[in-house]
Amino acid sequence: MKDSMTPFDSRPDPVLGAALRDALAPGDSAAFVARVLVAANRPAAPLDVLAGWSRLGIAAAVLVALFAGMAVGRDTGAEDAETTSQDVVIMAGAEAPAAITLLASFPER
Amino acid sequence: MDEPRLAARAQAGDRTAFGELVERYADQARRVARAVLQDPDDADDAAQDAFLAALVKLKQYDAARPFGPWLMRIVANAATDRRRRRTVRRAEMLDEGHIGGGPQPDAIAERAVLLGRLRKALAELPERRRLAVVLFDVEGYAHAEIAEILGMPEGTVRSEVFHARRHLRTLLADWRDQP
Repeated sequence: MKDSMTPFDSRPDPVLGAALRDALAPGDSAAFVARVLVAANRPAAPLDVLAGWSRLGIAAAVLVALFAGMAVGRDTGAEDAETTSQDVVIMAGAEAPAAITLLASFPER
Repeated sequence: MDEPRLAARAQAGDRTAFGELVERYADQARRVARAVLQDPDDADDAAQDAFLAALVKLKQYDAARPFGPWLMRIVANAATDRRRRRTVRRAEMLDEGHIGGGPQPDAIAERAVLLGRLRKALAELPERRRLAVVLFDVEGYAHAEIAEILGMPEGTVRSEVFHARRHLRTLLADWRDQP
């Protein structure tokens, strides 16, 4: 720890660094490296392979659902259908809540 | 062999080159992971996760840039992810009976007490601050590189290192001043 160091000194503090290095010292390095290399060379488990495919599968399913939805919407001519608040009141009949009836009394924009 | 060439060979599927990179960065990765997780076993698991993730992502690595910061970013993220997933905190607990005096049989015991206190003091710091000071004072990365690793502005890194040092230096000074 250098007493001359300023708080924003851009040089590492060798004393503090050495103490922290000791405090965080890992165990047997060779054993760890061997463990990582064994894991890296291990063939992927079937579940890992499926997990790798899952993103692709989900993306494909979303696309299929999107196109199917568009096709169905086009066939039924949904874009021509328009429902006004008066239609809602008529469909609900006499049981329409007061709020809907009130809403229906406002002019359509 | 220099790191860009090693990384390029590892990118091409050379497992020996990848092994060389693991050897070079194993201790550093484990220390950085331990700065986040405290527990050495958890840290080793996170460091291993990071190396395996790096192997998968090697094609994204730009060989024109230094390998260390790129890898340390993966290590820091792997350790943070593991810390979030961990449901039971198994941080190494310091034997409180050793803190604050008592007979010190020899220098080794004193050193052990200091290291225990340092680990405890580190654990008290916010995670980003811990990582910043370890990457700067232990691993020797520049402020700009740490900013890249931690995804924060360089000025924030300088501030985090300053606050962490102030906290840890007080502890070291107290220890040095003890009779």
